[in-house]
Amino acid sequence: MTYAITLNGVNKGFDLVRDVHRSLKSAILSFRRSRAKQMLGLKDITLSIAHGETVAIIGKNGSGKSTMLRIIGRVYRPSSGTVQVDGRMSTMLALAAGFHPELTGRENIFFNGAIMGLTTAQVKEKLDKIIDFSELNDFIDSPVKTYSDGMLMRLGFSIAVETDPDILLIDEVLAVGDAEFQKKCYSRINAFRKAGRTIVFVTHDLEAARLVASRAIWLSHGEIAMDGDTEPTIQAYLASLSHHDQEHAAEEEI
Amino acid sequence: MSNILKLETEYTARSALTFAGLDLILLIVSFVSRPAQPTNMIDELKELFKYRDLLKQLVVRDLKVRYRNSVLGFFWSLANPLLQVATMTIVIKYVMRLDIRNYSAYLLVGYLPWMFFQMALLDSSQVVLMHRDLLRKVYFPREVLPLSVVIANLIHYILALFVFFSYLLAYRVFLHGAPIMPSAFLLPVLMALQSCLIIGLTFFVSCLNVFYEDVKYLLTALLNVFFYLTPVMYPSELVYSQLAKTHHPILYKLYLLNPLNALIDAYRKTLLPPFSALALKGTPVKSLPLNYGILIGAGVLCIAIAIAGYAFFNSRKWVFAEKV
Repeated sequence: MTYAITLNGVNKGFDLVRDVHRSLKSAILSFRRSRAKQMLGLKDITLSIAHGETVAIIGKNGSGKSTMLRIIGRVYRPSSGTVQVDGRMSTMLALAAGFHPELTGRENIFFNGAIMGLTTAQVKEKLDKIIDFSELNDFIDSPVKTYSDGMLMRLGFSIAVETDPDILLIDEVLAVGDAEFQKKCYSRINAFRKAGRTIVFVTHDLEAARLVASRAIWLSHGEIAMDGDTEPTIQAYLASLSHHDQEHAAEEEI
Repeated sequence: MSNILKLETEYTARSALTFAGLDLILLIVSFVSRPAQPTNMIDELKELFKYRDLLKQLVVRDLKVRYRNSVLGFFWSLANPLLQVATMTIVIKYVMRLDIRNYSAYLLVGYLPWMFFQMALLDSSQVVLMHRDLLRKVYFPREVLPLSVVIANLIHYILALFVFFSYLLAYRVFLHGAPIMPSAFLLPVLMALQSCLIIGLTFFVSCLNVFYEDVKYLLTALLNVFFYLTPVMYPSELVYSQLAKTHHPILYKLYLLNPLNALIDAYRKTLLPPFSALALKGTPVKSLPLNYGILIGAGVLCIAIAIAGYAFFNSRKWVFAEKV
């Protein structure tokens, strides 16, 4: 069986001081000084995600969730280890990232499709479905700068889902818009799962994870603390949180 | 006069050698600056080709955004160079009394490629930072960003050339001015070489600006200096006769080493007839024919810079997302 996503012994380090040399001057002045120390963002991660799985990545802030999603999405290259991805992948873009305010919704759809690796012809095929799902028919030829945040998110979600990727990566926002549109998002995600597509999402919203995920990966300090069925993993994570709260309340405050 | 011509043939041989030497240095530099992550340029180009529609979208987006909100659209981007050229013509011709017939045509033919060069480099210093949100979220071949800047500016340049040619044509018809030269067929070659040069430099600039924020200030300063070091406002013959007279061969060689000089000189000599009646401090200055040796050397250098720039960019492009 082939997996949609395979990570093998992935380590990811970051420069501890992010901006060691932000100017030529400081670079020249500190020419012979040693390089910045590295902080490990991810430590020796090995995991496989099968086609059709919906995986939630949970954990506290700074535990490496987003780093892991970016490693899978090929935005970061691992310091060591290998990443293999089978199928076309797309990332749901948050508000500002993929849209140009001066261009119309329709033009932005083409741009976003191209970012996800589609050709213009492929986007054209899917254009009607995207616009229909977003419910933005009346506004699609207005510049995006006139959209509300909710409308932008609806457009972003529609593009991510209706471009029909094999693997969908989502950071934080799983369902967008008002309650009704959120319901629509969830049912679309479920249809997506049933079609055998793979979803990996990072979230703090454990209810959302319970609702759609078939598997949860709990990250702690850059390592996998637990990887298994959604409910037990969430329970273990919650238990560690309350345990942690009692023992290290003082430490947290610092 | 014959002295100058002798000197010139001597320089052809020497400059070809110098160019070969510089190419070698560049290649060594690109290999010595060891890639942080080894990359295979052919594979990178294949991946880039897969994302050609994204490149197209970026260019279209750039052009649309630039022209959408103004009624005059494209003509705004022409207004600036035309105003500059008009001002310089007046200053040079009537204040400084440099007597070249049809000076504005000679100026424009150098100023338009200079604009292409300058605008592309300035835009490229910002392009990675401008797309930081995208870089941090999505995978795509990073080189589409500087490439889109170069292509968008190349399109401006082509549009501006149309205006230049209609100006020449109008001048020809109504005022019996400079004819359009048969050697103008070399224009696409010159444009291709200049694009290579610019692509290579934008790779360096856009990449370095991610790591060192003051690169854009340095770039602005250098562009100001190089505007005067490049034969835009004056024909290269003036530099030549000055340097040949006072015998600083190394200076003229250094002057020739800038491939942009060779290209702008070649634009002028292939698109316009040799200028007539130019005098420097009373001494007549003869116009020189296009030196193909220098042009070929400059062309090789342009391509070498493009390859070195791409290698440099590739070795660092996957760190952008962590740095911006």
